[in-house]
Amino acid sequence: MTTNRQLDPAEIAVIGHALHSVAVEMGAALRRTSFSPNIKERRDYSSAIFSAEGYLIAMGDDMPVHLGSMPMSVAAALADLRLMPGDVALLNDPYRGGTHLPDITMVAPVFIPGRRRAAFYVANRAHHADVGGMYPGSMGPCREIAQEGIRIPPVKLMNSGKMDTQLLATILANVRTPREREGDLTAQLGACRIGATRMLELVDRFTHPRLVAAVAAMLSGSERLMQNVLASLPAGEWSAEDFLDDDGVIPDPIAIRVKIATDPKRRRATVDFAGTDPQVPGSINAVYAITWSAVFYVFRCLLPAEAIATAALMRPVNVLAPEGSIVNARPPAAVAGGNVETSQRIVDTLMRALAPAIPDRIPAASSGTMNNLTIGGIDPRSGQPFTYYETIAGGLGASPQSAGASGHHAHMTNSLNTPVEALEYAYPFRMIRYGIRPNSGGAGKHRGGDGLIREIELLGDAQVTLLADRRATSPWGLNGGAPGEKGKTLIVRSGEDENLPGKCTRELKRGTRIRIESPGGGAWKTKS
Amino acid sequence: MLAPVIPHLSIAIDTGGTFTDCVYRNRGRIEVLKLPSTPDDPSRAILEAVRRVCELVPARRVEVRHGTTVATNALLERKGARVAFVTTAGFEDTLAIARQARPNLYDWNQHRPAPITSLTFGVPERIAPDGSVLLAPSKSALANLRGAINDSEAESIAVSLLFSFANSAHEQAVAEALASLRLPISLSHQILPEFREYERGSTVALNAYLAPRMQSYIRALERGLEKRSAALSIMQSSGGILSAASAAREPVRTILSGPAGGVIGALSVARIAGIDRILTFDMGGTSTDVALLDANREPPTTSEGQVEGLPVSIPMLDIHTAGAGGGSLAWMDSAGALHAGPQSAGADPGPACYGRGERATVTDANLVLGRLHPDYFLGGAMRLDEARAHKALSAIPHRSFASLEHFAEGIIRVANARMESALRRVSVERGFDPRTFTLLAFGGAGPLHACALAESLGIRRVLIPAAPGALSALGILDADLRREFSRTVMLAPASPQISEVFPALEAEARAAFASESARPILKRSADLRYHGQGYELRIDWSADAFSRFHKLHEQTYGYSDAARSVEIVTLRVQAIARSPKPHVPQAKKGSESCAPFIAQSHRAMSGNTHRIFENGRWRKAALYDRAQLAPGNRLTGPAVIAELSATTYLPTGWEASIDAQSNLILTPNARSRQ
Repeated sequence: MTTNRQLDPAEIAVIGHALHSVAVEMGAALRRTSFSPNIKERRDYSSAIFSAEGYLIAMGDDMPVHLGSMPMSVAAALADLRLMPGDVALLNDPYRGGTHLPDITMVAPVFIPGRRRAAFYVANRAHHADVGGMYPGSMGPCREIAQEGIRIPPVKLMNSGKMDTQLLATILANVRTPREREGDLTAQLGACRIGATRMLELVDRFTHPRLVAAVAAMLSGSERLMQNVLASLPAGEWSAEDFLDDDGVIPDPIAIRVKIATDPKRRRATVDFAGTDPQVPGSINAVYAITWSAVFYVFRCLLPAEAIATAALMRPVNVLAPEGSIVNARPPAAVAGGNVETSQRIVDTLMRALAPAIPDRIPAASSGTMNNLTIGGIDPRSGQPFTYYETIAGGLGASPQSAGASGHHAHMTNSLNTPVEALEYAYPFRMIRYGIRPNSGGAGKHRGGDGLIREIELLGDAQVTLLADRRATSPWGLNGGAPGEKGKTLIVRSGEDENLPGKCTRELKRGTRIRIESPGGGAWKTKS
Repeated sequence: MLAPVIPHLSIAIDTGGTFTDCVYRNRGRIEVLKLPSTPDDPSRAILEAVRRVCELVPARRVEVRHGTTVATNALLERKGARVAFVTTAGFEDTLAIARQARPNLYDWNQHRPAPITSLTFGVPERIAPDGSVLLAPSKSALANLRGAINDSEAESIAVSLLFSFANSAHEQAVAEALASLRLPISLSHQILPEFREYERGSTVALNAYLAPRMQSYIRALERGLEKRSAALSIMQSSGGILSAASAAREPVRTILSGPAGGVIGALSVARIAGIDRILTFDMGGTSTDVALLDANREPPTTSEGQVEGLPVSIPMLDIHTAGAGGGSLAWMDSAGALHAGPQSAGADPGPACYGRGERATVTDANLVLGRLHPDYFLGGAMRLDEARAHKALSAIPHRSFASLEHFAEGIIRVANARMESALRRVSVERGFDPRTFTLLAFGGAGPLHACALAESLGIRRVLIPAAPGALSALGILDADLRREFSRTVMLAPASPQISEVFPALEAEARAAFASESARPILKRSADLRYHGQGYELRIDWSADAFSRFHKLHEQTYGYSDAARSVEIVTLRVQAIARSPKPHVPQAKKGSESCAPFIAQSHRAMSGNTHRIFENGRWRKAALYDRAQLAPGNRLTGPAVIAELSATTYLPTGWEASIDAQSNLILTPNARSRQ
């Protein structure tokens, strides 16, 4: 076959499938070789392929919150480092391409032998169950990023095929569970290696010029897809606000405000977060990458099924976020919760704004929090330190088409639960109850989904940290549908229960139980 | 003249959506019988097939081996039993919560499939991870449970308690307490004694869901077979055959009964042809099943299977399914990207050219391109409507293509891309180079797409077996009696417990096979991982098991670490009793030269020149009747080879020969090899 032949839509689809397979395979390798339950059982990771220019051209079916932020990691790595064959960059600095510190990203260049410039990049990101800082699990109520854990700008973990053991030793010296971290980092490196190998096989098979041509066609194809969606929206300015309960430090609600200007004629949209509250002392500040991801996610959901998803989908959408606000935080703001909590509220706000514009598409609010639970201590069975991290699903918002589902992860995350039997093998816990929280979904013509109840007993003394929201405000309904029930956290000791705030940390004794009741989803339309 | 009575006759019967395929050996020769299926009661077609075969070949002892879709269909149509799901109190919603994830990230209306039952019961009891009892179920709790289930109108019971694999005492106590209800009962420590409560619970609940229907189906079949005193056995998803009694007890093992027959059939075709490494490609109307096999080994199984979004964690043959088949619909999205599937025209209305459907499918594209001949589909039993196919394709905007035929080629390529991803998933993604494999294509549509797929994967040889449509039945005829016995143990490599668990599993295996009057060969294996990982690699058990584990980990995942400690997660014993596999006699050799043959066959079939569209232009192609081809014949592409159950498309640049077993062997010719 010749290499300069014009590509037709069939060939582009073939190459699109092939690139997606590489991303999926990287994820599978990471899952199968990692050590922490958060990665191997819960799949809290993403993997993606990038063009030579750093455009995202394929991503596994992983975590939506990483959609937009992965390209920024690659951009940061390329801005700071000259990646040569055999190099692998590592970073987690939210202010330089990261999201929050536990998310460690690796970026590897793919070189065609004999060429001086990288032809592609492969990258993966995994949420590590501890990266040091004040609290086990590194998701606690900090006041500045320096308290949240080790902060790593783009650096080379692999240099011309050789591991920088001093860098690795430095990282491991700053975390609570170094053996597990080392295993997970090795798994990430292995996944990069698999991704790069597969990309070179694609070059062999299709030739580099044809891959490049197909990638260009995929990018312009995604741009056109989004333009067509934007052309189908009514013209107008659509505004909304929604609130986070508080930042865990000051007990005041925090507003996110958005105005979406749609221009179907020019097939463009501008999303402006002007008027959103300034960044806060607590740890729920979101960096711009997260805000951009949330916008990306909402618009991506408007696309037809089977869309070729590249970064160019967002070319017709302009995202403005005021610097120093909670949706575009500046150092030294603490950011652990921006990725997991604020990202969800940004989605809620965007959907609330779009609901009047496309009332037949937009569902009511889902649970709106990931109920992040981290527990750390010494495992009395082994004498070794442990850190546990998990998010707990809630109810989905009802849509014009159907009732909301119960116990589903919504929007920016889709991590699995830790099976009870895996959890009790790995940690000094006993699960007391894991079930659906009855009647927590809003009532209406289409009911909101119910939240979950998860109750864990500690079998050793431990520090327990909670980072959750929708404890003060409820997931809203639409068209007169009732809101979902708020979330709730209890400490159950013999005799009295104690209600915990959404964002807090506690030293708890062996035998104590923690019960989390996650919010339900909002209902759609009044019950007639 | 009366046929002589032979001592033993094995009949394999595979029930499909359209046809019931029946295969048996008559004095060493394979005979095929095809009857229309009777979907309202599949046993009718089966008993009719048995009647006909027994009259042709009287035998003293008859064995009927059956590949059934009863379990699959009950699941697809959600027509199983009303199941009472019994679990540890506090965890009644295990099936509803699943793993708390949603199936599609970017669709607000797509939720997880509903669990097969919402009738759940909690028992106050608890076993710890090490098997110790934290809370024993009280007599009164068990009595209450019995009362509640009795009142619930349940038709079948599934019991899956936490950590039952570490200590089965509580599940046994529940079973005793419920015995008086006289309902089928499925116990998790018997069906799947492995950790991860959702996947285990789902598997056991599915078993209970299918049990009553499978039991009455098998009872009806056995009654029908009684007068011929024929023994009945059932094909399992694992590729082994199982007595009807076992299948009735554990129907969840039969969900992939048919596709498993295809894999086993492909394996025996490959073994007889002397081919070691094969990729199977079984393309039907709505989906395509692929698998990677080494003919020198047992076919690989997986415990991470899913059916309709529900996990089935018993070992099934590692078959990957792609949502593309002949009936996949072609469509164009708003940005002008072409798609084929996953939506399908199904059996009703079917492809446009079958005469009822309106929308273009992959089959219609094949017809437009001349790769199917309208007069020789299903051996001429059904005429294909070319005008309808053209009309259906024309209805899709296709300005970016030079012509309608270019567009049809585009549809084929996009469909091929999906199937190629599936073949890659089982090969490249697991570290196998497809170029070193033979593509073994069967199913109604497999032989049409095989050469194109081989080209894009760099495969140099394609094999189309005789009667590609009946290969599943042939596999069932050859399947071994097989079952796996396993236990999750979580042990260190030096643990003395290993030497207790293996013999216990082996005793269990011998007892189970004794009830099937067979003496199995037993093979030990273990699922190993680095301590702390979540997924295991299966290693045959021997002194060097651990060094082989490090090597396999390196090969599979790009690294290994001999310094990390290894953990034994599950111990397994595989029990196999081999079926006799008679020598297949070679067909009579035909003419070496091909030229006269082409002319002859060509005349015989169409009487005029057939045309196909290929790589952007029309060209003449030869048309063959496969029944008239004989070993030694050589054909050159472009050609179309029609037979009763499938059509083979031999593109330009490929040639075909017929081997001694009447397989079609397709290879790129010398010129295109450069």
